[in-house]
Amino acid sequence: MRAIIDIALNDLRIFFSQRGNWISLIVLPLAFTAFLGWAMGREFGSTQVRLDVADLDGGPAAAGLINRLAASSDVIILCPHENDADNVCHLDNGETALTTEQGINRVQRGRSDALLVIPAGYGQAVQTGASAQLDYYSLEDPTQPSPILQTVNAVLQKVNSAVVAQQMDMAMLEALVGTDAGSPLADEKTRTAMAASLQEDAQRLLDSQPDLVIFKSTAPMETSSLDQGFGQAIPGMGTLFVMFTVLGGMVTLLRERRQWTLQRLAVAPLRRSQILGGKVLSYFSLGMIQFLVLFGMGAVMGVNLGGAPLALLAVMTAFVLCVTALTFALAPRMKSEQQAGGLSRLLALTLAPLGGAWWPLSITPPFMQTIGHLSPVAWAMDGFQTLIYNGGGLPDVLTEIGVLLAAAGVLFAIGAATFRVGE
Amino acid sequence: MDTMVKLRDLSKTYRRSDGSAVEAVKQINLEIYKGEIFSLLGPNGAGKTTTISMMSGLIAPTGGDAFIGGHSITKEPMAAKRLMGFIPQEVALYPELSARRNLLFFGKMYGMHGSDLNKRVDEVLAFIDLTDRQKDKISTFSGGMKRRVNIGVGLLHRPELLFMDEPTVGIDPQNRRRVLDTVKQLRDEYGMTILYTTHMMEEAQELSDRVGIIDHGELIALGTQGELTQQVREEDQIDFAIDGRGWSSELEARLLQEVPGLTRVAYAPPGHGDDSAGEESLAALTAFAARGRQALPDIIRILNDAGVEVHSVKVREPDLEAVFLALTGRALRD
Ligand SMILES: Nc1ncnc2c1ncn2[C@@H]1O[C@H](COP(=O)(O)OP(=O)(O)O)[C@@H](O)[C@H]1O
Ligand SMILES: [Mg+2]
Repeated sequence: MRAIIDIALNDLRIFFSQRGNWISLIVLPLAFTAFLGWAMGREFGSTQVRLDVADLDGGPAAAGLINRLAASSDVIILCPHENDADNVCHLDNGETALTTEQGINRVQRGRSDALLVIPAGYGQAVQTGASAQLDYYSLEDPTQPSPILQTVNAVLQKVNSAVVAQQMDMAMLEALVGTDAGSPLADEKTRTAMAASLQEDAQRLLDSQPDLVIFKSTAPMETSSLDQGFGQAIPGMGTLFVMFTVLGGMVTLLRERRQWTLQRLAVAPLRRSQILGGKVLSYFSLGMIQFLVLFGMGAVMGVNLGGAPLALLAVMTAFVLCVTALTFALAPRMKSEQQAGGLSRLLALTLAPLGGAWWPLSITPPFMQTIGHLSPVAWAMDGFQTLIYNGGGLPDVLTEIGVLLAAAGVLFAIGAATFRVGE
Repeated sequence: MDTMVKLRDLSKTYRRSDGSAVEAVKQINLEIYKGEIFSLLGPNGAGKTTTISMMSGLIAPTGGDAFIGGHSITKEPMAAKRLMGFIPQEVALYPELSARRNLLFFGKMYGMHGSDLNKRVDEVLAFIDLTDRQKDKISTFSGGMKRRVNIGVGLLHRPELLFMDEPTVGIDPQNRRRVLDTVKQLRDEYGMTILYTTHMMEEAQELSDRVGIIDHGELIALGTQGELTQQVREEDQIDFAIDGRGWSSELEARLLQEVPGLTRVAYAPPGHGDDSAGEESLAALTAFAARGRQALPDIIRILNDAGVEVHSVKVREPDLEAVFLALTGRALRD
């Protein structure tokens, strides 16, 4: 064991004796993470949810409802009505109106968070005081209170109350004034104008009342935009740079064989397993240092990294083990340091975006999410997201850790069987 | 004589990636005795590095075995490796680390620690004369200095047996001199057994107690330098400086008749030979004999009988280059 630690410490000493490595281990990752964290804090971190509205009625009453909904909350973006130049609604073809089918499809694909359908005949129903049913679709857990639904209900409540108030007012007017010929209410025009004006007054009165429930922010959005951006950027850039650093070990292994220092270890009275163990420990340590640098920066900045630091450490460990194992499985197949360097960069730069290190996989189409999970990065990012955004703990990320460790096991077996020193 | 190393049918066949096989070492048998310098002499590509790599446990033989102090390198590698120091052909050091750091690290790999290790590193640094540069990175060293550190690493654990694979390749004559002197010093003062590989005849000739000549993976000759040159029955050349006054053609005939192995005699009167520069009155007599050293007493006796005074004698044995030439029909440096 002592020899293993001595080998690893020596490797770390060599690694840190080169200024370039400080830059690639600390300066670059910190710079990238900071840049991405703030950029994504604006993009993904906008504290908004998208509510699709399929207006099948198209009349003024429906438009009024939509306006009221739009005014009700800054958090809720009505789509497509409130879409902006950045396509905040994630519309596929810049639609200006949505059908029910389109809306449902969008909810299912995660393009929007919920769909409200205003049925044809809504305006008519409002006017006659008949009941109009509005359908609400979402992927939300029906047993959980939905902030979007609560907001919609609050707005509908007021609209309905205004309708009820207007009808009661009209009934009272009719009782006072009568509806006989000669009464102003006998004239249909006057009667409609009166009704409309009464409803407006009622609505104005109701609107001036404070809301009982106002949707300011949805559950995951309790975090600040800083947390939102860095919660993605830190694990994302962490996994990317861990891969750069650890996969770079392939180059170091080849270089050590070229400069014969590896052979020198092989003729010392050491077991092969000790040499292998020392090398594995050194690259594993570098990977962990890489993660800790970035998560440490997050902690110093006060980014909310969830409430389970040990579970976070477990996900990091599983991921670094997996990448270390990959390094040792591939290294014996490398013919030259150039080839190894090229492959390590190529792998890092494909596995990272594929696995959602640069943007959340949840905004990609379902088949990309499936393919993405071929990358260990996806499993790590799932774990990090559960811990950072969803307040999960160790039991919630055991699947991710299990998958990463299983992959690490297989890859280590290949690496250990093919690790060569002399020939 | 105690045996330190024994090779039994040691063989290595490399498999190339294209499927072809390279028989780099073919069934080598030899013994290296305790306390001797044994040279493995052969041209580039002869199989020296492959042989020394198998002996040190770096690569596995495809046939046969090597025994170090009685321990099989394939079956008891740990025990065998503890006995040996290894100085590779390459400068096998971490260029980013200082000389001292390199020594400390490899010392630990041989199980040394703490103040023991520190003291030993001080000793080795003094031995390789780099105490004042110990804190400097290897990358700032000259080729000769790197070679010295490379040797120092192999000496750290005070091995009984030292493997040196072409330790003078690529260094200047001054540093080469230093390395050769160090090798002799290690045998003479520290009683080490040394296996030294080289493609340079002069080095083998200067250092070795015994020599093995290797070519195309085969051990084609083995023995002391004398034995090897005798094997090829090359004649010795004996140079005499004599008082020319007693010389006669009868004396020449008598020598050729009475001295066994003597094949030819050449006489140069005073002033002709450049060997006796400064001694104008002396003549040079050159004799060629199959066994020069054995012929020598007879020649001197007969010259004395004839009243010819012998002032100096020099026996020049045929060199290893000639042996290699005779065995392979090629020069060593081809
Ligand atoms: N790893 C290897 N794979 C295939 N052939 C090799 C390998 N190493 C050495 N050889 C071949 O084996 C022969 C002996 O090489 P080597 O032992 O290095 O010779 P030397 O040290 O005497 O110069 C050469 O023909 C060389 O090309
Ligand atoms: Mg060689």
